[in-house]
Amino acid sequence: MSYITGPDVVKYACSCGLLKPISHLYFCRYCFQLRCSFCVCHEVDSNFCGKCSENIPSSEARVKKNRCGNCYVCPSCQQELSTRIASKGPVNPEDSKSTPKKMYYLSCQFCRWSSRDVGIPDQSTVTGGWPERENVHSNRLQELVDMYKAIVLAQKQQKDKDKKKQRGKFLSYTDRTGVTAAALRKRIGLPAEFTHPILKNKPKEPEPASAKTEVDEVPEQLLTEPINLMEITTVEQRLLQPEAQPVTVDKLFPVHKQLSIKRSLRCRHCEHNVSKPEYNPSSVKFKIQLFAYYHIPEIRIVTVEPLRAGKQCELIVKFTNPTQHQTTIAFLKLNMDEEDASLDSEVAEVIQDLDQTLSLQEKQQMSLTSLPLSTSQPSSLISVPSRQPSLTIEPRKISQEVNCDIEVPTSSFILPPRDDAAEYDDSGDTHNIQDDPKLVKWRKSNKAFIKLNVTPMSDLALNSEVVCGFIMQHIYTNTVASKEPQKYNHKVKVFLRLGQLVGSE
Amino acid sequence: MSRNNIKILPGALVCEESKLRGDITIGSGTIVHPSATIIAEAGPIIIGECCLIEEQVKIIHRLPFDQQNKENTTPVLIIGSHNVFEVDCTVESPKIGNNNVFESKCYVGNKVTVSNGCIIGAGCRVTEEQILKENIIIFGSKCQMREGLDRPGLQTLQMETLSKMIPNYHHIKKPNKKV
Repeated sequence: MSYITGPDVVKYACSCGLLKPISHLYFCRYCFQLRCSFCVCHEVDSNFCGKCSENIPSSEARVKKNRCGNCYVCPSCQQELSTRIASKGPVNPEDSKSTPKKMYYLSCQFCRWSSRDVGIPDQSTVTGGWPERENVHSNRLQELVDMYKAIVLAQKQQKDKDKKKQRGKFLSYTDRTGVTAAALRKRIGLPAEFTHPILKNKPKEPEPASAKTEVDEVPEQLLTEPINLMEITTVEQRLLQPEAQPVTVDKLFPVHKQLSIKRSLRCRHCEHNVSKPEYNPSSVKFKIQLFAYYHIPEIRIVTVEPLRAGKQCELIVKFTNPTQHQTTIAFLKLNMDEEDASLDSEVAEVIQDLDQTLSLQEKQQMSLTSLPLSTSQPSSLISVPSRQPSLTIEPRKISQEVNCDIEVPTSSFILPPRDDAAEYDDSGDTHNIQDDPKLVKWRKSNKAFIKLNVTPMSDLALNSEVVCGFIMQHIYTNTVASKEPQKYNHKVKVFLRLGQLVGSE
Repeated sequence: MSRNNIKILPGALVCEESKLRGDITIGSGTIVHPSATIIAEAGPIIIGECCLIEEQVKIIHRLPFDQQNKENTTPVLIIGSHNVFEVDCTVESPKIGNNNVFESKCYVGNKVTVSNGCIIGAGCRVTEEQILKENIIIFGSKCQMREGLDRPGLQTLQMETLSKMIPNYHHIKKPNKKV
């Protein structure tokens, strides 16, 4: 799939202003807005181990430092280690009947590292009870963590105390006269040292780390002996075990596998989920998946004539309708200086041709919810609508530069709904769609091939990348809110990287 | 040299569909899958016992350009015993010892001498002139090298199964040499 979606030549502008390929975008069905991973809330649903597919509660994960207790990764190549069986001779060699004892060791299928390489003895149980490496600095770390925890506690207590003090009736005169407490103390002959209450109940401070001025001399063998690179660990191998940072390969020990998370993504404006995975770690399905790929027509470049500066050339793009509803696509000129707000407000505008069912009240709510987005005012100024946006983010300006004019077609075209059975239908296309032959070159089921004329700007340098952009307006059929499907005009800014400019003949 | 001179020792399993060109000797117990290619271009190839040569494998005896003009001797490519050539690997090495594993889609150039117990990982490209020491393991996209503890395990079980299965589905070249 990545060879189709991978080269991101066609990018859609997310509502937050970032440009992403359609496979990276989400579509909130409640706000009618594109969302990307940058402008949604990420929430961790569950922690699990990718090897043993075991769900681990978040409290347990925290205790285990987000690592699986049973699974290990290879310290040499970071792949997962598997347990292998080695049979050891019978327990007592005289008795021929005694079965050979099974022993287990860890082995990497990828780089053939095994726990025997570093002299870890084989274990008699499958799950191991592999020896845990004690961190040499664990005591010191614990000391420091305890101290900082105590400081946090002391500061909190101090804060509480200060709050209580402020409520007291007596004003301190030092505040008014400008005489500081320290100066006052000095005047009345008290020791100037004033121990701050925080410092007073300061916890026991651990021994401070001492800086060494004398460094060991460079060992001579570094200069005299040739380096055997196979005995020295790579940077990746060292950083995999930050507490030990082994220098030589004989100190590489198996590392507990890091846990993975399942996360759900939530639209920040309406707080609806745009993506929610199934809870079961072994399942790769979703409960909610509002990917833009399923809602927004997909655009792909089919062919483009050689691009020459100032010369018009033909561009053929393919439009695919992924939805179960017919849609009409129109083109609008992309104006980069235009305020993004207009785009937002346009979206909320309800086309009333077909949705007579929408009551007036609902409409008001719709416009209310859209208001904070379009005007980006503090939401407190507006009377609270039913669904208050949790966060209002002003969309950033689109950074993509457009250096190619596009002749925006005035006519629109229809895309029929997606029909999975059409692939197996040999009867040919029997659509009766009146197409503008200048615009639509060819169509098949829910796809249409559209001809566009583009002209790279005449002042472009050779081999510079040519980018064109337009606004695609398509009719989005909403089936969520009410029984009757409602139709909206949805606009998306689309940017196409057409390739490099070639010389003029 | 253009004439094919294939010597198959008894016990070897060479499929009819394998492509063998030049002077090749295949030792007993060796299995050559269909669509494996062995080309003895620069001189004869002698393959030892119990080697496993899987599909799409290319073993080519080809000299580096700077050595091609030396006419005095014809070099012989000797491949030791118990070597495993996995699917779609290309090996042009001038000398191969015993117990080596060439994993899938790896490439070993014609300046690389392979000793014993080496593993060339999947997809690794080794072309620089060198002699691989014993039990060297090359792995990963950066062709990282490390030294193994001992030789890789033998594929006896797999070979046994194959020697039973292959004759049921493929035409086998008859051994034409006596021990």
